[in-house]
Amino acid sequence: MYHNMDVERKMNLVIGGYAQGKLQYVLQKYQLEENVVWDAALPDEKEMLSEIIVVNHLHQWVRSRLLDGGCPEEEVQSFVNRCGNCIIICDEIGNGIVPMEAFERKYRERTGRMLIQLAREAEEVERVICGIGQKIK
Amino acid sequence: MMVLVIGGSGSGKSAYAEELACTLAEREDTAKYYLAAMQVFDQEDERRVARHRALRKGKGFLTIEQPVRIESALDKMETGGRTVLLECISNLTANEMFSGTQTFSNAQTFHETRVRKAEETVELIRQGIAQIRRETTHLIVVSNNVFEDGIVYDPSTMDYLDAMGKINRQLAAWADRVVEVVAGIPVPVACGGTDGNRSALSW
Repeated sequence: MYHNMDVERKMNLVIGGYAQGKLQYVLQKYQLEENVVWDAALPDEKEMLSEIIVVNHLHQWVRSRLLDGGCPEEEVQSFVNRCGNCIIICDEIGNGIVPMEAFERKYRERTGRMLIQLAREAEEVERVICGIGQKIK
Repeated sequence: MMVLVIGGSGSGKSAYAEELACTLAEREDTAKYYLAAMQVFDQEDERRVARHRALRKGKGFLTIEQPVRIESALDKMETGGRTVLLECISNLTANEMFSGTQTFSNAQTFHETRVRKAEETVELIRQGIAQIRRETTHLIVVSNNVFEDGIVYDPSTMDYLDAMGKINRQLAAWADRVVEVVAGIPVPVACGGTDGNRSALSW
């Protein structure tokens, strides 16, 4: 990661299963409004207007980037490098039977590996289960 | 010591399990064995195996491919201290359950055969791993969390899930530690029947 040393950069990662209340948990914990939330999208430089940026449903964004032939690993890394302060929310999608279709396997695997990388860089990693956040890093 | 490592696809469970195997083997200066249960069928499998091989490279593991009857791997090991990394229960279970062909005369026998096969698989793997456990210094078993997609599959896949669930529960009961790897982070599930706190897991 290339840090601009003048600005304190911070990224938190929040993961968990479907419908576990991850977004609500984040909004409540950090006292944030919905207008800082980007749903399955990453803002570009001129769209980064709020002090803190919440990216929700990162897995859906990964899926659409893979379908469009993009490289989500590089794109998310570049977003994290540019962003001052962000919270990334992503579903855990790897805890099921191996899918029959090759694309579905690729999507699961690459999302998982991306989360490992993001977790490595994150200041804090929380896993939300039944609306409750467990700090795992 | 026996450790059960679980995790989903792309969770980093293999990398963690290998690191753990190396730490434990070094501690008591034992030989290191990697028991690979996976069978290679296509290019995707080949890439997966290549990725795992690259991870293990230079770490001194002797690889034994053992897709079924896992305890036969013991015949290929030297005597003396052994640290065994077995990867993974999902492949071993599928191999035992779905290998070989069977013919059925009607739906009833199909159902009965299926159920019997699932029960036999659980018993075979249970006994096989019990034997490996008796004859090794350290045993690390990697298993998959395949239980949380909420999908109702065809009956034979549901049998597979049930069988794997039973095997995982048995392994957890035997294990000194159970660790779930989440986004590359080891999260303690249980530790020697105690409260499983994080400090108890650091070694």
